[in-house]
Order: sequence, then C-alpha cells, then structure tokens
Amino acid sequence: MINGVNLNQDGVEIKKSVCYFCHNNCGLLAYVKDGQVLKVEGDDSYPVNQGALCSRGNINHLFLNHPNRLNHPLKRVGARGAGEWEQISWEQALDEIAAKLSELKDEFGAETLATAGGTLRTDDWARRRFMNLFGSPNGFHNAHLCWIPTFMVETAIYGWCPFEIDMGNSRCIVLWGQNPGASSMPEMRHLSDAKKNGLKIIVIDPRFTETAAKADLWLPLRPGSDSALALAWLNVIIWEGLYDQQFIENCCVGFDELAQHVREYTPEWAAPLTWLDPELIRAGARMYATHKPGNIQWGTAVDQIGKPGGATMHARALLRALTGNLDAPGSDLLTGPAQDFITDEEMEANEWLPDEQKAKQLGSDKYKLTTWEGYGRIAEITRSVWGKAPTAEWMCEAHPPTVFNAIITGQPYPVKALITLATNPINSYGQTSQVIEALRKVDFHVSMEYWMTPTAALADYVLPAASTLERPTITSTYGCSDFLLASQRVVQPLHERRTDYAFWRELALRMGQEEMWPWENLEEANYYRIYPLQYDVNSYDEFVERYRFHFPEREYYKYGRLGFATPSGRVELVSNTLAELGYPAMPTYVPPAENEVDDPELAQEYPLVLTSRGGIMPYHHSEHFQIKEIRFLSHEPHAQINPETASKLGIQEGDWMWIETKRGRIRQKAEVTQAVHPKVIATERGWWYPERKAIEPDLAGCMESNGNVLTSTAEEHCDPMGGSWANRGLLCKVYKTNGKDGM
Amino acid sequence: MARYAMVLDTRICIGCHSCTVACKINNDLPVDMIYNPVTTIGPTGVYPNLHMTHIPLLCMHCDNPPCVDACPTGASQQREDGIVWVEDEKCVGCKACVMACPYGARHPNLEVGIVQKCNFCMDLVDAGEEPHCVKTCHQRARIFGDLDDPNSEISLLLNSERSVRLLPELGTEPYVFYIMD
Repeated sequence: MINGVNLNQDGVEIKKSVCYFCHNNCGLLAYVKDGQVLKVEGDDSYPVNQGALCSRGNINHLFLNHPNRLNHPLKRVGARGAGEWEQISWEQALDEIAAKLSELKDEFGAETLATAGGTLRTDDWARRRFMNLFGSPNGFHNAHLCWIPTFMVETAIYGWCPFEIDMGNSRCIVLWGQNPGASSMPEMRHLSDAKKNGLKIIVIDPRFTETAAKADLWLPLRPGSDSALALAWLNVIIWEGLYDQQFIENCCVGFDELAQHVREYTPEWAAPLTWLDPELIRAGARMYATHKPGNIQWGTAVDQIGKPGGATMHARALLRALTGNLDAPGSDLLTGPAQDFITDEEMEANEWLPDEQKAKQLGSDKYKLTTWEGYGRIAEITRSVWGKAPTAEWMCEAHPPTVFNAIITGQPYPVKALITLATNPINSYGQTSQVIEALRKVDFHVSMEYWMTPTAALADYVLPAASTLERPTITSTYGCSDFLLASQRVVQPLHERRTDYAFWRELALRMGQEEMWPWENLEEANYYRIYPLQYDVNSYDEFVERYRFHFPEREYYKYGRLGFATPSGRVELVSNTLAELGYPAMPTYVPPAENEVDDPELAQEYPLVLTSRGGIMPYHHSEHFQIKEIRFLSHEPHAQINPETASKLGIQEGDWMWIETKRGRIRQKAEVTQAVHPKVIATERGWWYPERKAIEPDLAGCMESNGNVLTSTAEEHCDPMGGSWANRGLLCKVYKTNGKDGM
Repeated sequence: MARYAMVLDTRICIGCHSCTVACKINNDLPVDMIYNPVTTIGPTGVYPNLHMTHIPLLCMHCDNPPCVDACPTGASQQREDGIVWVEDEKCVGCKACVMACPYGARHPNLEVGIVQKCNFCMDLVDAGEEPHCVKTCHQRARIFGDLDDPNSEISLLLNSERSVRLLPELGTEPYVFYIMD
C-alpha cells in the first residue's frame, strides 16, 4: 500500500519512463492502471539515478494530472492577451495554421517563420525536419545560453566536445560555474563518492553554493571575469612547466606561439580583474594540472556571461589540451557521435534546406560559430573524421535576440510568424522588454504548451502538449552522445493533448511533406532510429522493456587511430577554424559585459555586480511554480545580498527589494547571506506567478520578479563567436521597496 | 528481532529537500505538514571563509519515547523493532504528544483531526523496502537499517564513524544518528 493505493492489485502495469524536468533525465517507474498513473518512483536499474529522485522527480504524476494543464486546442477570440478563447478541434486548428503559414510563406518567403523550442521537452529533430522542408533556417532555443557555444568552440579546437567525463578514474574536477548540488543531483552523488576516494574538487563560482561547501578549493571570482582567470591558469600551467609535454609534442600544434601569447596574463595581472588573490589563482591551476587525470566539467555559466564567453571557452578548452586531459582514462572523453544508431542530425533532413535559405539565418552574419557558416565548416570536418556531424538543432540556430529584433523592426526582413513549443521566452530569454514587445507585435503566434504561460497568453492559437509520461523518449545528450537511453510512453496523451511530433507531422502532411514523414508516431520513428543496433526486438517498446540502454564499448585514445577532427588533424592551440571564421586564433582577454573599468560612469549609478543564479531547487528555469507540493519550499523569489551591503541599504532578511539595471527593475526578497561578495547581487531568474491571471497587462506577473528583465541582449554585450547574451557580470543597483505590498 | 535506525550523513547532504518532498507526496500530507524538514546552518563565517551544513530532521524513534508515555489513549505506540507510530483510529487529537516530543516530530493534521508522524514508512519496511526519504536521496545521505544485524550497512557505518544524537541529555535515546561534517 502506498498512499492508500494498493500497487499489487490486479491490472497494475509498471512502465519505464524518464523524468524530463531537467537534463539529467532520471529513470522513473510508473505504476499504471486503466490509463491512470498511480505512483512514480526512481528506477533502481537506471544508470543515471539508480533509484533516487529529486524533489521535482517526485511530482511527475502531479504534473500529468494538474488541474491547470492545457487539455484542448484554443483559438483567440478577443484582443491578444485578453484571455478570451474558443475551444476548437485539432483539425480546425491544424487546417487554419497550415493555411496561414502557406499564405505568409508565399508573401514573405519561408524565412518569415521562426520557431522556438523548450530545452529537451520536445523532439527537436522533428521541428528541425519540418523547418528544413518548409524552407526556414530560423529555428532556435535558448541554446546560446546553454552549452552550445561551448560545444562549438571545443569542437573547433579538438574535434568534438568532451562532455562525457570519466569521473570514476579522475583525481581532480573543476566545476566552472556549475553547481550540481542544486542542479544535477546524480552528478553530485558521483562527486561525493569520488571525493571519498580522494578526488579534488575545485569550484569556480561567485557564490558559496551547495557544491562550493563541499569543495577542496573555492575561487569566488567577480561575475563575468572568467576570461581573465582562464588566461591566468594557462599562464601558470605553461610558465611553471605543469603541462603534458608528451601530449603537446605528439598531438598539438602551436604551443610556442601560445606560450608567448599568454606570457603577460599572470595571476598578478588577473587578480584585480577577478577579485581573486594571485596565490589562489595559482593554487587552482596547480591543483588541476598536477592531479592527473582530471576533468573540467561543462557548466553553462560561461555560456551566460555574454561578450567574454567565447574567449573564456576557448581558453578553458586549451587548459584540457595543455594538461593532456583529453580522451585518456579519467579525463574528459571525446566520444564522437554515435556510430551505431541513427542520430538526431540524421533525422533532421538538413540537406533539404537550400543554401540560399541557410544564408538567411538570422544572426549568421555576426555569430558565425553557432550558425550555418561555422557549423557547416565544423560539420564538414567532423564528418571527414567521425563520419557524422553534431546535431544542427541546437548547434546551428537563429540568434534569438536577432529574431525578436526582426519581428519588431522588420529588419533585415519581416518575421511574421512564430511557433513557440514548450517554452516561455518572456521568462527565459534575455532582456524581457524586447521579447515581450516582439510577442505583442508578431502577426501570427502559435504556442504549444502544458500551461497558460505568459507567452502562451499572447498567442493566437494555444495547443495542448503531451508531457513526459505521455510520450516515448530517446535520451542522447542533445543527439551528441555515443550512447542512448530509451523510455516508453506510460499513458497515451490525456484529454486532447498531443506530442510535438504529432503536431509537426500533421502540419507537414497539410503542407505537402507527406513522403518525408513515414513514421505515424514516435514509437515508429524511434524504432527506425534504433533498428541499426540489431537488437532482437520487434518494436521500440520491446527494446525499452528488455534492454532500455545502449552503451558502446568505451575506447580511450581514439585520436591515436583517427586523429583529431580539425584541419590539421591535431589539437590546435592556434586554431585554424576560428581564424578562418574571422575570430582570434588564440584567446585574448575580454572584460565582463558591463564593468567599472570600461564604464566608470555607469558604475557610479549602478555600483553592484549582478549575477543570475543557475539551478535553484526546486525549480527548473521558469517551470514548476504551479506545483504547490514543491512551491512551499520557496514560495517567493529571493536575491542574495551580503550583510554588509544590506545593512548600508537598510535592507533586512526577507525584505522585498528592487534590483535595477539599465534595462529595468524587478523585485525579489532579500536573502541576506555571506555567500556572496559585498559587491555582488545574485538573483533568481525565470519567476512568474501562475496563481495570477495570464492576461494583459500583468500576464501573471511576468515582469515583476523575472531576472531576465535585467539581462542584456545588446549587440555590444553578446559574444561575437557564439552569440551568447549577458545574464551575468552586469552592473546593477539595489534599494528597498516601499509600502506594505512592497511595490 | 530487528532494531531499526537511521543515519544522516551531513558530510554529503546538500540540502536539496528531495526527502521532504518524497515524504510529503507519498504519504499524502497536507502542504503545511512536514515530517522531515531539512535545516540549513550557514553559510557561517565571513566571506570568503565560509562553512555550510544541512541537518535533516525527522522523528528520532527514541528508545524511551516521551510521546508514547504522554498519550492518554494508547494511540502512540512503539513496536518491538523500535518504530514509534500512531494508530489513527485511537487518536483523539489531544496533542499531548506534540507537547511531549522534544524534537518537534509530531504534527497535528487539521484536515483529519489527529496527530501524525514519521513512522519510518513502516508499511514499506515490513515489505522489505526502504522508507521513501531514503530511496529518493541521490546523495545516499540517509542510511536506514537494522542495528541488531552487526553486518548491516548502518551497523558497519556507525561502528566506523563518529556519530552524535540530538539532545542526548534528555535520556530519550534517539535511534537517529548524525555523522557531522
């Protein structure tokens, strides 16, 4: 008996599912009877979580059955954002959307359609496939803030992104702006286990996080100054002779040039920029370089510092190369793409998008590494070595702020239609005022969603999306891992919900793409993808039930056999690919997006430094504020402020305070804590209030406490390589709110 | 006979509250009822020299449980394996046990008019499984088991690591042990 429900009663089936409330994708077992999910629990045999679940994992069945979920297609009948809807049939919705898209395509060209997806809530290859066949290059995610620029910089330098780490054999791990203690529980468990065996943990983070509290070394740098720290580490490792000479001689090119290049970037040079003691900078570099094999775990912090992001990723990548921590046991592994099943990229039909349409991708004139020019070049090289390319969905996308700007200004061409899918850009993309202006202005907006989010509230059609337990899923790290984990549909979508795959396929059938969509449902498509693995199964479901995972045999030192997927076939300490694209071949110092040195006047008005916090339990991005069973843990948004600063400003624990940048202001409650430097303010992001009405002008309070109101997507704040905008390292001020409601 | 106990390893607890939520959802508790809150102490010190610890709390399943002695109806009971529990049908909601418990581990459920508490998920334990809070913990910071079995994980752990109990001076003899940072 659990909760008064007998799980041993007749007719209860156990289905193997997976949690999609963050990127760890922990395995779930769902107890189902008559189409009702009675209970979920962690799957003991699933390698990621081994039976455990975080607070979000425990609410999967509540998410499925929540009374506020969207269950039927809706068409707007009143003014946009007035909350007046008519329930219509799927047939009507699809017919009308298809007709409207065809009309806009005829008048403005296919590129007038832009689409945005959520982070792995959806089957991204299906959207990409539709877009390629439709003829638009303007699909996007929040990819630029989430690993993608890192992936592309690293692939440019050594031919793949070493995101798979061999922690069991490692002696040192660097968590660069990553806090698995609040955002990646399975990883944290591995860290704790390895620490018992002597693993050294270095945390680089402006905040004293759950993870920093368990670290051997904590480097609390000024938000956004990561580029200086990475360069200083290069300097220490080279000029103290801590590098791996054999690896450099056998596998790298450009060492002498790099050594001269970083000569001036001493810890003493970096100290005032990073606010770190030079000896602490040295201690970190020495610990990483002398505890081999070691890892630099990928985190998304550097993807979120904007302008200095690309240079920092570049320098960080070179740290691995100098220490030989690439594809060796215990180091960061270059797995390459999956060789034995059909990857996301192979499902995307990228070859169907004509070159003249690729050239129109918004942002591709500026941010070349993550758009068709750079991606195309890198994909060509990886194909020649690995036989396959990274996923284009994610790695090669329109630049979101440029898309929003095109909607607003009509430049460089009009973007008239937007489809948002399991994403709430008002709360999750940068510089909210720009996003909301675009959403108010766009001619035609379809939103496929779980909830009536502030973004969905501004749509013309709202379509009900199937969630985790209602869809089968293949997990393969954005389509870039050499392994896969497979999960099955627990129940058919409830009410009139559909999977995004069903939506794209139905739309495609109405737009003349019949021949390209042979798979009637996701199980058929997934079976097609795993078929080459040659398991003795007759369906995708059978694969999940009997095998569930596919892990190829691990092979270290693959570069000995294949070389590195770069123009020279070696690790390029002086990068040909980056130089070809017009970027510096070696990393140089790039200051934080806003800082007191370059703009002292701004710093007078905004004397504090803002960082937007990453994962906070129990939420993920802008999600889960509806679920009271976890909301009680943190009912309101909080910003961290040092007691010294709070005292000067007359702010006490729990006071509502305004946090303001040049872009606008928000209010969050003060968490007065020593966890941050007296000059740093750390906000939570993504906040909106589902308990309020999602109608104009309040739109469920989407501007009130939303950290993205403060962030900047201005071109001068974006990373010229990957296009990341600045969530961190911005200047701000803080003051107490007035009145009893804090407004 | 078994003697059940729990160890909380604060060296690895990260204060994620997964246990709190798993307990609440699987035991179907009202939003304001929490059997096993996690208290965070810190960061203490002055930036950047800091320390932070998380202390998960729950019923201590005392060997001398004052709540059982205080109960006028016999609803509060202790099993031979040490588990302290409430027999719902006998509870009249007088809250004498709430006053008696020094650990704040007894919770009036206003929806049903009785007092409830952590019972180590005894239905699961009787079925040979672990309590929800233990299974859900990614960090394995909660170790549950039988102290009468000298080879159980919990016995081996307590024999090899120094542990403390909360308010030992009261003589309640808690069977929840803390390995401190």
